[in-house]
Amino acid sequence: MNKKHLIHLYNRVGFGILPKDLDELSRFSLDENIQHLLKKSKPITPLVVNTSTLQEIIALKNTDEKKRMLQKENRRLLADLNSEWYHQLNHSTELLRDKMTLFWANHFVCAENDILQTQQYLLVLKKNALGNFRDFVLEISKNPMMNKYLNNKQNKKEHPNENYARELMELFTLGNGHYTEKDIKESARAFTGWSSNKTKFVFRKNIHDFGTKTFLGKTGKFDGTDIIDIILEQPQCALFISEKIYKEFVNPTPNAKHITQMAKVFRKNYNISELMEFVLTADWFYEDKNINVKIKSPVELLVGIQKVIPYTFKKDRYFQYLQFNLGQKLLYPPNVAGWPGNKQWIDANTIMLRLKLASTIAQQKEIELEPEVAFEDDFETFNKRKKNKNKLLFTTVDWKEFNQQIKNTNASDWQEVLIGSNLNQNTLDLIKKINTNNIKEFCIALMSLPEYQMC
Amino acid sequence: MKRRDFLINSSLASGMLFVPSFVRAFENIPKKLIGHKKLVVIQLSGGNDGLNTVVPYRNDLYYKNRPNISIPKSEILNLNGELGLPPSMSSFKNLYDQGYVSIINNVGYPNPVRSHFRSADIWQTASDANEYKSSGWLGNYLDAYNQEAHMAIDVDNKLSLALKGKDISGIAAFDPKLLYRNANDPFFKKVIDHHMDEHLSEENLGYLYKQMIQAESSASYIFNKSKTYQSKADYPKNAFGKQLNTTASFINSHLETKVYYVSMGGFDTHFAEINRHKRLMNILSEGLEVFVNDLKQNDTFKDTLIMVFSEFGRRVEENGSNGTDHGAANNLFLITENLKKPGIYNNHPNLADLDSNGDLKYEIDFRQVYATVLEKWLEADPKKILGQNFDHLTFI
Repeated sequence: MNKKHLIHLYNRVGFGILPKDLDELSRFSLDENIQHLLKKSKPITPLVVNTSTLQEIIALKNTDEKKRMLQKENRRLLADLNSEWYHQLNHSTELLRDKMTLFWANHFVCAENDILQTQQYLLVLKKNALGNFRDFVLEISKNPMMNKYLNNKQNKKEHPNENYARELMELFTLGNGHYTEKDIKESARAFTGWSSNKTKFVFRKNIHDFGTKTFLGKTGKFDGTDIIDIILEQPQCALFISEKIYKEFVNPTPNAKHITQMAKVFRKNYNISELMEFVLTADWFYEDKNINVKIKSPVELLVGIQKVIPYTFKKDRYFQYLQFNLGQKLLYPPNVAGWPGNKQWIDANTIMLRLKLASTIAQQKEIELEPEVAFEDDFETFNKRKKNKNKLLFTTVDWKEFNQQIKNTNASDWQEVLIGSNLNQNTLDLIKKINTNNIKEFCIALMSLPEYQMC
Repeated sequence: MKRRDFLINSSLASGMLFVPSFVRAFENIPKKLIGHKKLVVIQLSGGNDGLNTVVPYRNDLYYKNRPNISIPKSEILNLNGELGLPPSMSSFKNLYDQGYVSIINNVGYPNPVRSHFRSADIWQTASDANEYKSSGWLGNYLDAYNQEAHMAIDVDNKLSLALKGKDISGIAAFDPKLLYRNANDPFFKKVIDHHMDEHLSEENLGYLYKQMIQAESSASYIFNKSKTYQSKADYPKNAFGKQLNTTASFINSHLETKVYYVSMGGFDTHFAEINRHKRLMNILSEGLEVFVNDLKQNDTFKDTLIMVFSEFGRRVEENGSNGTDHGAANNLFLITENLKKPGIYNNHPNLADLDSNGDLKYEIDFRQVYATVLEKWLEADPKKILGQNFDHLTFI
């Protein structure tokens, strides 16, 4: 397979590729490479942390103090889970599944300060990431954390709560403008009683509305499952998901012709894996106009750098601050619409931070970051965190591993994988001035170029 | 130094002989935007308890709902015979007595959301309760008039959503010197020096380069323009005091910046509210008084409007831990010497007519306040920025 195409493929379904893997994989054909990716992504490794400390608190008697302890411990464990997620991405063996999980986490957006529910929710994402979209939507609709997050627990026959029904259509399946306010009201009735206890779906029939509903032109005694099936019958649903996948994996500027082709494949049986296979083997996926045109998300940037320069943070908290400052902290989406992505990652401050990142990490330099402040912190804590914010980034770099990686490689190998071959003359002039005898310095310099922000 | 001179000088200094075309475009800013008016927005994060800030101390319902956390009548600093301030706000009372303060009651929006994050987003993006926007109202202001990043400064290290536009965003400048150092990192400069207009025409990569140039030019502008002035005023020794001090030094250095954004946290008073809220009000009031006096001494207060808001108010009834839970409508302060109607602007909060959660109902949409500030103070078109029309108020 053509090396340029292989780099593009791994930029999109992974976090870049190293020269040694590029050599290895380029011996195989495109189809072989895609089959390889799909096969490697068959297993499902759950994302979990040790929650025994939480269990001890749960066993205590119910008091306000216990409530506060639970909140604090959940926050701490979610931070652990955040680090664990990064660890898994850094050492991913199920690359396509992991990348798709990130995509779905920004599609079926949900967040609560609850470690057990979060782990369960992430498992739903991972399990269905390459599975059947109907099963996926159904499982998400019954997920306890989602029930809570979008208030379906409060959706009762006497007092319907429309929040879930609205977002199901607006954000998860159809997109704005493809249903009426009446459709929202009617489908909300169908989801009444879809509730849950802590980690289990519960159908509460005494608050379910068993009456007749009219939804998207159909009439019947619908429940939530019927609503999902009617939604999936709409051609718009496959188009909506295809467009979102296209913008994430192919090009932020949609191409109607290609998206229609995708939707046709997807609608057959809503198999996500087949859709991805179609996209990744399409000629247009490898066209020059789709290469290096997307701005990396902070996750793509951080994991991408980590693959080249294996680093760890001395303190997890500093790593969390860094994610916060870059504008994407995993498990903490801004709202149910998720991170808007692409250009919205960038402002004057984040671009300076992004360009400094590789050299700061590699040289174990300090960087000034804004600490996150929880709303419930009192002013003294707030003030203290602000004051102590200086010099927060301390990394440990595994140079031995790095030296392994650069064995038998030269500067141009790294230039090819890190910033691609389609470069502007001025950028080429700049690169010429960098010392190419020292591969380490060279890689750091390349990762400090705006071109490295693209994938 | 005129902006044109500055651009030419700074581009010479950085070795950029050609000012890129998109920077040149900034010189076509409509004239009226180059006015002197400044807006300082102060966000109280966590949901400030408005009823213990502007206290309805003649209202029995207030004392009935809050047997443990109300401010005793005897301690109230009276405002208009009905409403008053807690003693911790005596500095704020000084500003009020000079006619610099307008208190707008019952500010909120339809279908109030009681989540901090979501409600803060709604305020920052001026959206409806069920609408998700990815750019802020002040970012939209920059976008609508093709302003440079430094025209809206977040006095913080991370840019607030309020200042994020679609194409142009404000800049976070908690420490101008550090910002300048970052923007003048040798490699960063080298990359900028090697760009050409061809780079800028590429869709997303071009956007990155533009943001870099913007970062460098705005960081240099802020640093060079503000380094000569040092405030002598005695600000409270905390992060909020530092932010106000920095803001005053920017304003008193006559930066052309139109908008400053400052935030203070710690307002989520679910338990042991009395002492915590007292400290918060103290810090807020003292900070504001020093800030206003600092501006007055430099003759810049006349061109400054300060707006203080919080993402929501708190429940009327106290909870079981001597605190209050998340509420809805709240009061909002406007501080300037140009008020048309100083004092209490509108109806007092109605404690007898609450919503189903036991929260105050809103009477004025917060976007009416924004629309008024945009049109009457910043001389901008509110419809263009907020996306819809809102009735104006008459405080300025």
